Order: sequence, then structure tokens, then C-alpha cells
Amino acid sequence: MSSDATYQRAGRLEVRALEKRYDDERTGDSVLALERADFEVEGGEFVALLGPSGCGKTTILNIVAGFISQTAGEVLVDGQAISGPGADRGVVFQSFALFPWKTVRANVAFGPKMRGMDKQERRQLADEYLELVGLSGFEDKYPHELSGGMQQRVGVARVLANQPAVMLMDEPFASVDAQTRMTLQEELTRIWQERRPTIVFVTHDVEEAVFLADRIVVLAPHPGRVREIVEVPLTRPRVWDDILGNDRFKETVHHVLGLLKAPQVTEQPTVEAET
Amino acid sequence: MSAPSVADQRPVVAPTLGFRRRLLDNTVVRNVGPFMPIVLLWWLIAELEVFPSAFFVGPDVVAVRLVELSRNGILTGYLADSLYRLGTGVLVGLLVGGVFGLIIGLSRVARRFAWPLLVFFQAIGDIAWLPLLIVWFGFSLLSVTAVIVYTVVFPLALSITAGIASVPEDMRRASASLGAGRWQTLTEVVLPGALPGVVSGMRTGLGYGWRALIAAEIIVGTSGIGFMMFDARRVGEVTDVFLGMIVLGVLWYALDALILAPLERETVERWGMVRRPAAAAK
Amino acid sequence: MPSLMALRRRAVNLLWFIAPFAALALVWVVAVELTDVPSRVFPALAEVWSAGVGMVADGSLWQHVGVSLQRTVTGAALAAVISIPFGILMGISRPVAAYFSPILRFSVALAGIAWIPLATLWFGFGNRAVIFIIFNAVFFSLTYNTMLGVSRIAPDMHRAARSLGAPRYRMFTEVYLPGSLPSVVTGLRIGMGYAWRGLIAAEIIATSAGLGYMLFLARRFYHTDIIVLSMIIIGLIWLAMDRFLLAPLERRTVERWGMVAGATR
Repeated sequence: MSSDATYQRAGRLEVRALEKRYDDERTGDSVLALERADFEVEGGEFVALLGPSGCGKTTILNIVAGFISQTAGEVLVDGQAISGPGADRGVVFQSFALFPWKTVRANVAFGPKMRGMDKQERRQLADEYLELVGLSGFEDKYPHELSGGMQQRVGVARVLANQPAVMLMDEPFASVDAQTRMTLQEELTRIWQERRPTIVFVTHDVEEAVFLADRIVVLAPHPGRVREIVEVPLTRPRVWDDILGNDRFKETVHHVLGLLKAPQVTEQPTVEAET
Repeated sequence: MSAPSVADQRPVVAPTLGFRRRLLDNTVVRNVGPFMPIVLLWWLIAELEVFPSAFFVGPDVVAVRLVELSRNGILTGYLADSLYRLGTGVLVGLLVGGVFGLIIGLSRVARRFAWPLLVFFQAIGDIAWLPLLIVWFGFSLLSVTAVIVYTVVFPLALSITAGIASVPEDMRRASASLGAGRWQTLTEVVLPGALPGVVSGMRTGLGYGWRALIAAEIIVGTSGIGFMMFDARRVGEVTDVFLGMIVLGVLWYALDALILAPLERETVERWGMVRRPAAAAK
Repeated sequence: MPSLMALRRRAVNLLWFIAPFAALALVWVVAVELTDVPSRVFPALAEVWSAGVGMVADGSLWQHVGVSLQRTVTGAALAAVISIPFGILMGISRPVAAYFSPILRFSVALAGIAWIPLATLWFGFGNRAVIFIIFNAVFFSLTYNTMLGVSRIAPDMHRAARSLGAPRYRMFTEVYLPGSLPSVVTGLRIGMGYAWRGLIAAEIIATSAGLGYMLFLARRFYHTDIIVLSMIIIGLIWLAMDRFLLAPLERRTVERWGMVAGATR
């Protein structure tokens, strides 16, 4: 079965003219949170959604995941329009959202269990994915016994083990410390290169986006909209030690920062690249 | 656990310090030890007749009475009565409260509608129902049991409802996007997630339920520990009143140590889910 | 200035609060009407209402409510005055706190109603026995939780205050009391829960005035209208105490300071 484990499904995601309006609870006004977002993610591609708060990046992710519904436009996975959440789009959450009453192994085996895979098989599968994320030996621990960084590794393994067409990551490393974050970023690129899943990665951290992604969908706020889609001209494998001094990395970061700043110069003097 | 017995004559290598540490760390020693000086103080106060002996008796007198009443079966009989009522009431209460809490907790509309009612009925308090129950069912066991059921139902239903509401949105979403259906999400995520609420609700419910039992036994008065105490009070048998209180205290302690604490240890604590400060569960 | 939308939302919230009770009243009216249940088994809503009006008019309701509230306040205040300093003193030293912890837990479990036989034996039937019940229901829970609160104040905070030059007696008011306040309030809330139930039980058993007495007296004559009226009043008073006194107090201490009270029942 181990040959199966190296196979990773990688679907194609299309976001077509996506729009989201909210009714403001207090004023009762209709607010445009997202204005006609259009982009595609090829099978096996790593795309980052980048922008400051209010740019609609999490809105896009939530719509793609099926957690909320759009007011216009459509989302296609492998050509099929989505409706509601489903196993074809696995989500890695900023809050980890691991089930505290399940062991690490049971967390990873959750998706396969829902599909009705038998116990022995899913146990083996879970252990393989835990090995992939470097957590062998922690199978029987409960999530709260693990550090934040390790918990998010479980989150990644849990989604990959479920073989989704698209893996959606919502600022997954925002709540771990800086050192751990860099390690996790490197690990993620390694895993991505090994398995080639399709990843949509939401972040507000410019360097993170440039380091991780093939392409970056840069978003602008008020209303949220796509400003530009930037190709990242960096080769893989990527390691922070090499990347930090790389001129193309610096140029790309500079370019993206410029995109984020440009239109708001008069209203908001600075847009923090990192918070 | 046990003091070194005669049979246990292996040479003691670890010196006294290790033994003292072990002794202090022992759960039984830690929990029972502190009561020793208190009992001694109690005995001293009684012995010196600080209070007239018609109002205050020492532990020795109570102990003698304990043996006496256990031998002739009065105490054990009453204790069995009380425990049986508490057990029945709590079981029915758990069942009703559990189902109730689930139904209310799972639907947002039901929750919004039922919450104020639950809070209100919880506020009326068990004992206030007793007179009406007596009107309906007479001075009977049914009245006593009904009070306990009532006491357990509301805290439990409230805590389960709050517990379900407190399951993080992200966890439900995670479950759905891993391919779980509605039913699977309920059994795999929502119910275990609500468990801390259930446990704390049980704790509150039992704490109230068992006070209600005593009050009901005093008021309805046919048998049971509460009845025994009040009956003794009527004839001025202070010893039996003291004995009753000790029995009640020990009983609660046992209940907590044997049922509630292990339950909490095996679930909430093991999973690292800290009980929220009794915000809504109260 | 609240916008139209905010006003509408408030109205909707109010409606959501009233609707359940309105529905309950409706069910009550219809059920009594349909089943034709005799009023000595269950009263009609109108009967309860008129009983209430009557008791308000002749002043007996205020008398009973007044007596009950007075007892509650006296007992609880007495307990607060004694338990809080007591709890703080015990909590300051960790060994002392560890020592008293099981004893107090035992006492909390026993507090309130179980003391009624002994209280009536010691103080006779009447006011003092009832006040004693309230006192001890609050006393143990409050002492225990205060002690717990103090003993859980972070050692760092303790050290910081000492190294900033706070003398011992100032530590009491500047560190221990505010530091343990969330836990104190939780202890008070739990204790009051036991006390209120204890009050009703004690008044049923041991006095000739107060809400519990009113309740039990009505039972003797099968005045179910007064029984149900008393129940509603008991519920309302507790809700008012809990919502407008205890809960806000807990919120203000626990939430404003972002502290979680580590209180246990």
C-alpha cells in the first residue's frame, strides 16, 4: 500500500467572477467584501492569496471551502461547481481545529474513517502521513500535549491523508512563533515538492507568500479585489538560508510590497508587510 | 497506600526522606490527613464541655452511635433509601436533561427560544417545587424523586446546551471539509465537544440534587438520612444529627472521588479541555 | 445615537426574550381551559394573577419577600465579612492552603441544607437558624474560593509587588484582594446558589415568615394559586439577584481583567 501513499491527488481550481456582499449588522448597509475575483490554480500548483486585512482573502477561502456562500460567481474544482464543504477541499486552519478528544493518529485518520475505510488500513495510512510531516512517535499523544508547531503538522497531515483535490490553508502559521514558522514553511515546501498537492495558501505576510508560492494573487482592500497575479521566479527546493540573500527573492518582495502600498499612499501612509 | 507491614521486610534502601515524600504525595494521606487534627480538636471541645453536651457531642460518642446504628440496620437502611432515591432521580434526570439539552443545543432557534425558559425554571429551584409536588403526589417517595429529577435536569440541560454552543466553529468546519456528514459531525465532533459541559453540569446537578434530597426527606419525612437527622433533632438526639452530617459528607466525598473526579480525569483533563468558568452553565 | 437598525435589533432581541414566556403563558391558559383541572390541583393563570394582586394590596407579599431578603442579605454579608479576610490569610501560605483544601471541599459539599437540623437544634426555630443556614452556605464556598484565588496568584506578581516595595499590609489590599477577586466573586455566586435554596428549605421547615413559609402555608390549604405565585416570585428574585448583582460582578472582575477564575464547586 505504500506506493499508494506517495500518490497525491491534485485537482484544478477555478474561481470565476466571485463576489460577496454582507449586510452590516449595525448600519444595515450592504457592504461589498469581494468584487469579481478571477483566478485559476493548476493541478499541483502552489498559489498564495496575499493582502492586508479587509482584502477578502479569507472570504475567498471560506467560499472555496464551502463554509459561506457567494453572492455571485462560481467556484469549480476539476470543472465541477462546488456546493457546501466537502472532502475534495481540505482546510488547514489558523486555529489548528484539531479534535482534542482524539489522539494524533485518530485526528489524521478522521477523513478516511468518514469514508468508511477499515480500521487497520486507516491506521496505517495515518502513520504514513505522520511520518511524512515528521511526527513519528507521537501517534498516541493528544493534541494538547504537542507544541503549536507540531499541532499544525498534524493539521497538514490530516488534510493530506484525506486526499483532497485542493488543500486550503488559512494563515496556518500565524499562531506559532517566528522560529517554528520558518521551519514549518521549509517543511511545507518539502512536502509539497514530494507530493505535489494543489495548495491555496492565505497569508498577510509578503515574505512567506514569496518563499512558498509559485504564484501570488495579490489582493487590495475596500472592496476586496484582485490587484495583480505575480509569478515567483525562484527555483526549488527553497531554504531560508539561501533565499534570504537571493536577489530575485528581494526583488519580488519589493515588487509585491509596492503593489500593496501603491494606491493607499494618501489615505494610509504605511501598510505593514508583517504584523 | 498502606503503611509498611510486617510481611514487607525488604531492606529499606531509600532513606526516610524518600518515604516522607511518598507519604506526602499519597492521595489518601493528602486528603484524609488534614481531617485528623480537626477531629482531635472536635474531640477536645466536646471533652472540655465548651458547649453543653445536649448541643455538641464528641467524635467518640458519634463513632459509638455509628457502630450501634449500623449493627441494628437503621443507618444502613436509611442510607440505602437515600442513595436509591438519589440514584433514581439522577439517572432519570440525566436522561431527560441530556435529551433536552441535545435537542435545544442542536438547533439555533430552539436554543434561543428555550434558553430563557431553562434559566427561569432553574432559578425557581427544586425545593420550591416541593409543596406543589406534595399537593399532587402526597407525602410520597414520588415527590422526593421528582424534586431530584427536576434539580438535575436544568443544570444539565443548560450545560449541555452551552457545551454544544462552545464547540468552536472551526472544528465543525474541519469535520465537514474532511468529508463528515451531518450525523457524523454530531457524533464525532459536537457530542465529544460538549462533554466538558456535560461533566460540569453533572457536578452542579449532583451538588444541588443531593441537597434537595436532604430537604425533601426532612419535609416529606418517611425515611432516609435527612429524615433520620430531623427526627433525631425532634427528640433532641444530637448524636444522630452529627452522625447524619458526617455520613452525608463522607458520601459526597466518595461520590466525588469515585465517580466525578475519575470521569473528569479520563475526559476533560486527558484531552486538555479546560472547563470554562461556569459562564452559562450556572 | 443608536441607528434605526440598532433599535430594530434591540426590539428583535426583546421579542426573543418575551416570546418563550408568552408561549408558556399561552400553553398554561389553554391547558387549564381544556383539561378543566380543579384549582386545588393546578391554578389558572388568572387566579395566580389575582392572588398576586390581593397579596400586594394587603401588604403580605412585601412582608414575606422583605423578611426573606433581609435574612439573605444578613447571612451573606456576615459570611462575606468573615470569609474573605479568612480565605486570603489561608491562601497566602501554600502549605496552609494545601492543608485546608480538602477540609473546605468537604464543608462546601455539606454547606447549607444539611445544617438545618443542627441549626434548629442550636438556635431553635426562627430567624437565627435561617440566617445561620445562609451564612454557612456562603461561608464555606466563599472561603474556599478566596483561598484558591489567592494561592493561584502568580508568584511573579507576588515578587514584583514585594520588590516594588509594597509593605506586608499593603500587599493585602493591593495584591491579594484584587488578585483573588474573580475567584471570590465566583465563590460568592456558587454560595448564593446554595444559600437561596437553603433559605427556601429552612423557611419551609423552621419559621413563620418568609417566602418559603408562604409557600408551605399555602400548601396546607391547597392554595395552589399562592404556591405557584410564590414559585414565580422565588424564581424572579433569584434571577434578579443573579443577573443584576452577581453576574455583572463576575463579568466585571473576570472579563475586564481577562482573568479566568479557577474556582471549583
